[in-house]
Amino acid sequence: MVRVRSPQDFWAGILFIGFGCAALWIGRGYAFGTLTKMGPGYLPTALSWTLVAIGGVLTARALAVDGPAIERSQVVPQLFILAAIVLFALGIERLGLALAVVLVAVTASLASRDMRWSETIALAVGIAALCVLLFVHLLGQPFTVWAF
Amino acid sequence: MELFANLATGFGAAVTPVNLGFCLFGCLIGTLIGVLPGIGPIATIAMLLPVTFGLSPLGALIMLAGIYYGAQYGGSTTAILVNLPGESSSVVTCIDGYQMARNGRAGAALAIAAVGSFFAGCVGTILIAAFAPVLAAFAVKFRSPEYFALMLFGLIAAVILAHGSVVKAVGMVILGLLVGLVGTESQSATARFTFGVPELYDGVDFVPLAMGLFGLAEILSNLDRRRDQRIAATAISSLWPSREEIRRAAPAVVRGTMIGALLGILPGGGAVLASFAAYTLEKKTSRFSVEFGKGAVEGVAAPEAANNAGAQTSFIPLLTLGIPSNPVMALMMGAMLIQGIAPGTAIISDRPELFWGMVASMWVGNLMLIVINLPLIGIWVRLLRVPYRLLFPCIVVLCCVGAYSVNSSTFLILMMAGFALLGYIFAKLGCEGAPFLLGFVLGPLMEENFRRSMVLSFGDPTIFLRRPISLCILLASLALIALIIIPQFRTRRDEVFQE
Repeated sequence: MVRVRSPQDFWAGILFIGFGCAALWIGRGYAFGTLTKMGPGYLPTALSWTLVAIGGVLTARALAVDGPAIERSQVVPQLFILAAIVLFALGIERLGLALAVVLVAVTASLASRDMRWSETIALAVGIAALCVLLFVHLLGQPFTVWAF
Repeated sequence: MELFANLATGFGAAVTPVNLGFCLFGCLIGTLIGVLPGIGPIATIAMLLPVTFGLSPLGALIMLAGIYYGAQYGGSTTAILVNLPGESSSVVTCIDGYQMARNGRAGAALAIAAVGSFFAGCVGTILIAAFAPVLAAFAVKFRSPEYFALMLFGLIAAVILAHGSVVKAVGMVILGLLVGLVGTESQSATARFTFGVPELYDGVDFVPLAMGLFGLAEILSNLDRRRDQRIAATAISSLWPSREEIRRAAPAVVRGTMIGALLGILPGGGAVLASFAAYTLEKKTSRFSVEFGKGAVEGVAAPEAANNAGAQTSFIPLLTLGIPSNPVMALMMGAMLIQGIAPGTAIISDRPELFWGMVASMWVGNLMLIVINLPLIGIWVRLLRVPYRLLFPCIVVLCCVGAYSVNSSTFLILMMAGFALLGYIFAKLGCEGAPFLLGFVLGPLMEENFRRSMVLSFGDPTIFLRRPISLCILLASLALIALIIIPQFRTRRDEVFQE
């Protein structure tokens, strides 16, 4: 059984190989061309192979040389932040700017363990008002403030 | 005395009530985010990019530039008073700055940092005014082979100067280049890597990418570490340094300014590298080297001068060659493109009021900053008490609204979430975002210049070696690569980043 001695490098290598292979697969139909007349596939293919090669080197080296471990992720707070962004994307057109901002601010705040409801509500309302003032009134962005 | 005439044009453009307002706003925001740990100039400039859509080009650039050098001033305050780097370029200031504060010299340390930064800022501004036009005039001769060679040099430098593993940095550059190629190819109109999404036909949008990768990913990482802690700032007595401190700090400021100015111009350089290099040099050469780590005044003066000088001179490659040397400059380039200005040799000749206005505003901005930072220091210290749990939801909101305001597309918001997750994974795997961003910005430009060179030479790659300027640049790149292979330099590089 091979032991991964440098987990950060090992997974970075796998990530590079994955991206490289995906790019090669998606770009398989792009015309390659010649050096004089480079096709749209020339550079993507060359870069993808280089990326795969670098990923290979990293992964192989991670089995031989010791390196730092990957810091543990808390997962839950990160999910709250990502969920907040997705909620904004879903809500901005259905709810309008004001409510969508409140939704994001509250959802994002849940990521913190020290969160207090009263403080969060005040913050959410305040920043929603500020966003409407800044983006709609001062910068003249064509946002819907209220969708209803 | 053309320089004075030009500077007069610049001050005429910069010293209007509106532009002074933008300058002040940028400096205030810069100081604010410099003081606050956990949010840096890259994330802030990315968040404010959508706000600049409606501004005049000069106003937008003055404001964004102010954020970058303003952050260099603010960062030292937190470093000295709380022993936390408010800004990555003031990491080394913590070492001796905090010790000075514990010895009761907090005020002196702050004053030296601010005055040193001001001196460095003035020198940096003069250097830009003096050298940028010369460099731009020289670069007029550049054709696509030279530009390609120059961009290659920039990417190699970015890799070598990145923290951590070189192999990973190369991978990040290549990945950035690949992401930069997304969109419609200019020659054959082939849509590459677009998955049929109309928002991707013009390429991956810069604003959500930068906000996700830098602003939001940083929040995701911070949430793993940070418990809200009460920050106890050291009290400040008098702001006046002693005669002895001034005598020791003055030469250190000059040395730091020179190193910073030099490293700022280099591709891959900028404020962070400058401060590290200046500190290391001071520690190695100082007569008082035993005092370093125990509150040596040079350990505050030199890196603080260096980071501001570096922040200033890193504008030179962008304004003269159109090549960003670090992520902040990549964002400035994005801001220029949003305003319909093509960065490059033509800026100084075609838009003198823009170039000289920016130069003049930098000097005005430095003057504002010294006032903002010294007499008003108490206000910034009080701001440090704002807990992170209130700060990060505001950043998330600003990023979301900013991404949507690019062109009212919800796809861009989701893409930003994707980049936030990617940036978080990068951070966990010890991969730097900076080489990725440079690769992303330079990708399309490099492809275009490489293709043109190949058309020019009928597919003969030796064209890069047959043109003298491009040959010189390529030789310089080779020298850089040789440096990194030589083991002695490698250990030195690791030392510099470890301290």
